[in-house]
Order: sequence, then structure tokens, then C-alpha cells
Amino acid sequence: MTERLLSGRRIIILEDDYYQAHDSKNTLEDAGAKVISVTATVPDLKALMANGRIDAVLIDINLGHSTSFDFARELSRNAIPFLFLTGYDVGMLPEDLVGSPYISKPADRSKIVAGLASLNASQT
Amino acid sequence: MADNPHPLDQTLFAAAFQALPEAACILEPMYGAGRAIADWRYISANERIGELIGLRDVEGQTLRGRWPDIAADWMSEFAEALATGAAVTVVRPGSQHDKIYETTLTPLPLGARGAVLVTIRDASSEHSAREKRRQADARYKLLFDAIDEGFCIIEVIFDENGKGYDYRFLEANEALVGQTGIKDPIGKAMRSLEPEIEDHWAETYGRIAQTGVPERFESESPAMNRWFDVFAFPIGDAAPYNVGVLFEDASARKRMENELRHSENRLQSLIEASSDLIFRMNPQATLMEQVGGDSLLGDVGEESNWIERFVLESDRAMVQAVVDDAIVRRAPFHVDTRVRTDDGVIRWLSSRAIPVLGDDGAITEWFGMATDITARRSAEQQIAHGAEVLLVATEIGKVAVWDWNVETGDLIWSDEHFRMEGYEVGEVVPTYDLWAERVHLEDREACDIKIAAAMESGEDYVNEYRICPPGGEVRWVSARGRFLYDEEGKPVRMLGAMIDITQRRREEEWQRLLVAELQHRVRNLIGMVRSVARLSAPSHRNVDDYVDHLIGRLQAMGRTQSTLTRSPGRSVDLGELVREELVVHAVQPDMCHVDGPEVALSPHAAEIVTLAIHELATNSVKYGALGDSGHIRIVWSTEERDGKPWLSLRWQETAPRGKTKNKRKGFGRRLIEERVPYELDGKGSFSVHDTGVLVQLEFPLSDNGSILDSRA
Repeated sequence: MTERLLSGRRIIILEDDYYQAHDSKNTLEDAGAKVISVTATVPDLKALMANGRIDAVLIDINLGHSTSFDFARELSRNAIPFLFLTGYDVGMLPEDLVGSPYISKPADRSKIVAGLASLNASQT
Repeated sequence: MADNPHPLDQTLFAAAFQALPEAACILEPMYGAGRAIADWRYISANERIGELIGLRDVEGQTLRGRWPDIAADWMSEFAEALATGAAVTVVRPGSQHDKIYETTLTPLPLGARGAVLVTIRDASSEHSAREKRRQADARYKLLFDAIDEGFCIIEVIFDENGKGYDYRFLEANEALVGQTGIKDPIGKAMRSLEPEIEDHWAETYGRIAQTGVPERFESESPAMNRWFDVFAFPIGDAAPYNVGVLFEDASARKRMENELRHSENRLQSLIEASSDLIFRMNPQATLMEQVGGDSLLGDVGEESNWIERFVLESDRAMVQAVVDDAIVRRAPFHVDTRVRTDDGVIRWLSSRAIPVLGDDGAITEWFGMATDITARRSAEQQIAHGAEVLLVATEIGKVAVWDWNVETGDLIWSDEHFRMEGYEVGEVVPTYDLWAERVHLEDREACDIKIAAAMESGEDYVNEYRICPPGGEVRWVSARGRFLYDEEGKPVRMLGAMIDITQRRREEEWQRLLVAELQHRVRNLIGMVRSVARLSAPSHRNVDDYVDHLIGRLQAMGRTQSTLTRSPGRSVDLGELVREELVVHAVQPDMCHVDGPEVALSPHAAEIVTLAIHELATNSVKYGALGDSGHIRIVWSTEERDGKPWLSLRWQETAPRGKTKNKRKGFGRRLIEERVPYELDGKGSFSVHDTGVLVQLEFPLSDNGSILDSRA
């Protein structure tokens, strides 16, 4: 990870699997990002936003007990870019979220980093 | 009268002359210049003539002198009689009276000059009789000519054996020409007019001429190509008589009769050849007699009561009612009934009969026919049976059937169709619009397009769409239909069937979810393996150890998976899980104490607890109590915290002597201290004491599994 594509980016991770979350966190930090939250359940977005800027969110769809679609919609409403990282097919996406950035598990670290980087690129 | 040289002797001759019964007078010629008779002079006239025409005292008078008006008319007759010496008879009306006189002029050789005896007779009566006869004849002639029948009077010509051979026409009326084609026959013989005439005509007329017995007969003349209806009778006083023949050309009537007979024969043949039974019945329609056709009932023979004899007991009342009604209405009846023939065979007969009415309007008899419809009835029954089977099959199979008349718009639904659309059976009159109304709004256009395409192409209509009964659940249906066309290719009907595939659709949807879930799980698993492999790496310096550990962990994960697969969707018993894991690590029962209430773990918790026990057991075998003659105590309990059941599990090792202390935060320790809080929302502590490792796990018990588990 010599290229620090995500340098200075403030990113939160929503991932119910501990190992995946741990792995993602390491990956993003290696790419220069500042991971400000890693949770298995939907975090309190307002509280997080109050603590500072959020550049991007990496989201797993299946949270074990529920899905993260509502959270994704909340992010959209707040103009926060996000990237789905999921074991499901793209066909699983509900209609209003079709077309959202999406990476299928298992994913290479570089792919996740590139996905998040392009997310922010298109934002700015 | 100086010229009177011969005064009549007043003697005998005079007396005789006077006594003549006839009126008579004698005149002598008076010559004028050139020896021509200029006048006649009366010599004498008797009493009778005086009485008859008032001619008295005429001696010495002349004809012209006495009859100045008519004398000239007589001059030539007088001269003729005198000149020829023969008597001349003249019949003339009298000059003064309305009488007819017959006057005879008889020349008398009297001297050189001669004389004429005139006798006069009153012929009025006989003349009037003759005139009457003549007029009658004329009237008859007129009559004969006026009648349509041909009439002639013939004279028969006999051969040498006294047999009639020919005949000659004496009289004939005008109609004869029209009736025979013979023109101007009077005075001619028949054979001269028609040489081919058959012998029997002259023979018949000869017989009548000789016997005087009239005959009436009808006979054909091939020579004249005619039929004649003849009345021939004798005319005259004695044999051989003349024969009067009154006749008529009967060809047309004969032809009609022949045609009628032919037609009757044909009708009779038809009746005989008919496969139906033709019958007649009495006015009460009780007694039947077969008049032709097939013997459908056997030998009906004499009139018999057909209802009692043939109709099946169960049908009799119905048949009697139909017949009684027809009798009252004097109208035809039609009845289908089962009969038992004389052979004992049961058939279906369709009988129709019409009443024959008399002049008074009353029924005189019934005429009718009966058709064997056994085959048709049986076919109908089979069709009805087939329809019933179809109905039952569609009801059982919950198949909705429709029949749409494209031309009239009439639409027929089966009972199931009503139910499928959310109606009570017969609640509404089905129409295309009514059907379309129930189609899901999003599917309506596609339905219209597919139906139109099927109508256009003739290919089967195949469609799956949603029905939305108001207030009911949306149903998925699969419909198939086919259009029927007339000979011009115009669509006239559409038949189709439809089944409810909501369940199938649900299952398909469920299957899609399953596949998606499976994919998700596999991908997650691979992701987890990658993470585990990565996390396992830092704690091992040599590859063999690393591989052993990795394989051990993967096997533990595999055990959880197989446990879950064995009881999909069910929770896992904690005690069973712990004991199985200890067995895998060959922990002897006397080395451990396992105790706790029955606890059901969600698949997710089971996976983590399995891996935790695996890590602890592996470490213990390698570094702790299990590697020595130590003892392990695994106990758990549950308690209520904030309204939720929590599990509290403790792993406590007791080793006889202090072992190597492992303070590094390895895979197992991170699992317990980090993963449990992260994924199970609980707490995990790992501590190493002098006596060994003490691990404490606490997390809320949840029955929530994955999406798949919750659906099972």
C-alpha cells in the first residue's frame, strides 16, 4: 500500500463480521484513511456527523439480523457517499438503491480501496 | 169473254171438279203478240178454293186481273208447267193471310192451247212444324258446337263378317277438332282420316250399332297419342243404328293420374324404405298401427295401445301428459321416450305425430313417425358424462375455464373462474372489461397486447399475470387460451383455462432467495477464511504450526456448519456443542466438568462459541491443564438483564503446577475479547492466573439467525 489513495479520508465501516471488519479497517488505514467507526450494527449517524466530517462509508448489506438498506438511504439523504461490500448479488438491491456503488465479497483489498477512492473522486 | 171457246161441260166433270177435296181451279194461257203468254184466264174454280182463298166467280177473269200484285211471280211457273208437261209444286206464303200454301200446277192437255190445273193446299201447319224442327236442329247444333266435349254421329261400316271395320262421320261439332285434331271430318271415313286408327274403336261402335246398347268407356289411342273418355249411344229406330259419340280428350287427366299413381308409388316406396317407423293412430292416440318404415318396435301388427305396450313404466306418465296436451290443443306433438321392443331391447325413440282434422275440426286420426335415437342419446350421454368429468376435473384441479364469443362479446366463466376473480359464482355477468378491471394495473397493458397478438397470429395465448380481487390477496395466474376462427379466418371464439400459480411464484421467489443466501454464505465463509488465515499468521513462526492451527480452526468452523446443516433453522444446544468440541480434542471425561442448564444458541452464537471452545481446548492441550494432569471446569448459567436472557459461560482451568504463561494476544484471545463484544453484543474476558486460564463469556441470547434461518 505504497499509494495512499485514501489519505486523510474519514471513513466509517458497517460490517457485522468481526474478521471482515478488522480486515477492512486494516486495509483502509494502510491506504491512509482514518477509520472513525467500525460497528456490527447501524451506528448513530447524527452523533458521528457531530464529531466530524464523514467522507465515505463502507457497508455490508447483511447485518445478520437485518439489512443496511435503510442506513444507505439515510446516507443518501445526507449526501454521504457509500460503497456496498456484500456477499449478495447486485440483484438483491431494492429498486431505489439500484445503481449504488457495489463490490462483491470476497474482495481484494486494492479493489475496496479503489472503490472508495473513486467514490470520493466523483464526489469532489 | 168472246175468247172462251170451251165452256166447261156442266155435267159429270163439273160435278166431280166441284167435289174435289182439294181447292182447285183451271186456267188457260192467253197469247199476246209474238206467241208469248201474256196472261192466264180462269176457266173454272171449285167451291173449295173459294173457301180456301176466297176465289169465287172468277170465270173469265185473268190472273193479272185478279192478282195484280203477285201475278207476275207466277207467270214463269205456269209457263214451265205448260211447256214441260210436268207438274210444278210451289210452296209460298199467301198474299193476304199469314199462311203457307202448297200450290201444284198440273198441265192439262186441253185443246191446242192447253190449260193448267191449279190445286192449293194449306201447308201452314206442316210448314211451321218443319220450321220448328229446323230451328231445334240449329239450336242443338249450336249446343253441340258450344260444349267442350267432342260430339259426332257416325255411321258404322261393317266388314263381311258383320264386324265394325270403319265408320263415317255424319255430323260433328266444333269441339271434335280440338279434342281429336281431326279437321273437317263430315262425310269422311275414320280410316281415311287416320289410317293407323286402332281396330277396337270401329268394333266397339259396330257392337253398339248392332245391339243398340250404349257404352261408356275410357281408352287410349296410341295412333292419336291421346286418351279418350267416351259415351257412345245408338241413334235411329232400328239396327244397324247410327252411333252418337260424346267424348273428351282425357290425356291430361290420364297423365295426371299416372303421375299421381307414380308419385303415390314413390311415396309408398319411401315409407317402406324409411328407417323410421311410420304410423297412424286413432283420434285418442291410444291405438297405434304401423303403416310403413322400419319395424323399430318389432311386429306392431294390429292396432294396439302403444303407451302400455312399449313405453317404459317410468316414462309413461310423461308421454301420456304430452299426448293429452296435444289432443286438447289439436296440435302436433313430439316426445322422446324409452321403449322396450317385443324383443326386449330398450331403445330411445323420438316420435312426432300430427293430427288429421276433419271438416268439423275434430281429430280424425294421427299420423306420425318415430326415429330411433338410441345412438344419438347414448352419444349425448357420453358427451354429458364427458362434460361432467371435465367439470369435476376442472373443479378439483382448480382450473378456471372461459369461453369468449368474440363477435357478441358474450363471456362464459366456469365456477372456478368466478372464484379466482374474487366473485361469488354467478355474482356478475362476465365481460372482457370486467375481467380487465381485476388485472393488476401493471399487467393490464401486457395482457391486452398478448391477447391481440394471439388473435392476430392464431398462436396460443400464454400469459402469467396478477389478479387483484378488491380486499383480497393479489394472486398470480397462468392463463392459456386459443382463438377459433370461421372459414373466412375471422376470430369468433376464444377458449381458455387458467390456474392459480401464486404458490409456485412464491416458491420461485423463495428459491431465488435461497440461492442468493447460499451465495452470500459461501462468499462470507471465504471472506472469513481469508481473515482467519491472515489473523493466524502473526502468531506462528513456523509454517507447520501455522498450517496446523489454520486447519484446526477451519475444521471447527466446518463442524459448526455441519451442525447447522443437520438441523437447519434450528438452534443449537450449548451442552451438546461443548461436549462434542471436547471429544474432538480427546479430553477425557474425568478431566473436565461440564455443567449448565439447557440453552439454545442461535447459529451465529454457536459458531463463535464453537470456535472459542476450540481455541481454548487447543491452547490448553498445548500449554495448559489438558496438556498436564489438570482439570477443566466449564459451567454456564442464564440470567435476565434489561428484559433479555443473557448467557454467562465460564472456562476455568486448574493445572497442578504452573505452566508457561502465554500473555500474547493470540487468535483465541482476540476472538473472546473482541469478536464476542463485536458480533454478539456481549463481553469476553481472558485472563491467565497461576492455576491456569480463566475465560468468561457473556452475551444476550437471541433467537435471530440469518435471513435464511428466520424464514425457515
